[in-house]
Amino acid sequence: MKLYISDGNPQGVKVLASLELTGVKCEIEAVSHEEKVVPYLSDPRSPVLLLPDGQHLFSPNSICQYLFDISGQKATDATNQWLEWEATTLQPAVLQSLHMVALQGKRGEAAAVMKEPLKWLEQSLGKKNSPFLTAEAVSVADVVLWAALYPLLSDSSFDVGELPSVRGWFERVGDLHACQAAANRVLKGKGVEALKTFLQKHPASQTQRRDSPTN
Amino acid sequence: MALRELNSLERFLGLKKPNKYSTQGGKKVPVLQNNNGPALIGLVTIASHLVHEAQRPELLGDSAEQRAVVQQWLEHRVTRLDNSSKEEVKVILKDLNQYLEDKVYLAGNDFTLADILMYYGIHHIVVELAVQEKERYLNITRWFDHIQHYPGVRHHLPPVVVLRNRVYPSGHH
Repeated sequence: MKLYISDGNPQGVKVLASLELTGVKCEIEAVSHEEKVVPYLSDPRSPVLLLPDGQHLFSPNSICQYLFDISGQKATDATNQWLEWEATTLQPAVLQSLHMVALQGKRGEAAAVMKEPLKWLEQSLGKKNSPFLTAEAVSVADVVLWAALYPLLSDSSFDVGELPSVRGWFERVGDLHACQAAANRVLKGKGVEALKTFLQKHPASQTQRRDSPTN
Repeated sequence: MALRELNSLERFLGLKKPNKYSTQGGKKVPVLQNNNGPALIGLVTIASHLVHEAQRPELLGDSAEQRAVVQQWLEHRVTRLDNSSKEEVKVILKDLNQYLEDKVYLAGNDFTLADILMYYGIHHIVVELAVQEKERYLNITRWFDHIQHYPGVRHHLPPVVVLRNRVYPSGHH
């Protein structure tokens, strides 16, 4: 099994954190943002996990879920729902917001983009009595969401208003050694600056899509 | 649209009592009202739940590797296919065609939920393909025809005619 990862790609945080947290043994190879790892995909993607049976996983969330799955933590309705929400709703907003912060210096507008998804997360966490999203213990959902939000929420000048439940949860997940180590490895203590090269190569226009015609 | 898909999926799975659905937000994300617990939100989440309800877990993959591959294509459906512009559709078709070159189904040799939801999601695109495009995306056309003839899958969607003599030329399989 082999994990291909590129420098300064924010999606690397969730995969590295899952790897460390589950303790799965896996070779890691650094690739450039342009390197084509998956033979059938036109656009270069990373992170990518080469499975023992020779198949490629090019979805970061599926990689994380796989690592938890082989460590005995199966997907549930609750983890599935958070992962689907992260991929369809949170991730596009995060990417757009990162572009505004890192490339355009528009912090105010970047925070506005995050308002709705963070409000939803705040409401959901506020209703729960458990310290984590789906249970008493950390799950793949916590790691995936925490990693997606890390570059933005770890920046003290990123002002998204009062979010007591989100802040409490964000600190609890961030206290895990696996999460800290993954964030440091990708961001190198430089915050969103470390993501600049990646963001320049991945335009945020994809995130401002019209609603699905099939819905 | 997503609700019709879920109704068709319920019928495919042979679920006796139909569920109650609503939608949420501008993107009309499906919501399943659950009597025993909180509502479930999202097409992939609800579809996976229905598969468990019908006790057909093999449709989500019967090994960790296969489960991950199924999950990946389900995500691909709702993140890429559902939001794609005309330009992006070309890339999605090209890549999917390449991927399917040596496969019967999306997860290899076994029919899974990924095939059902990709078929529902890509139907409106395949319907519009000209004959030459169907030839260019030969592997997609072959896979698509296979799924639309899979017992109990098609339901709410009209069949798409593919040119069998072109789709299965000698020397290809």
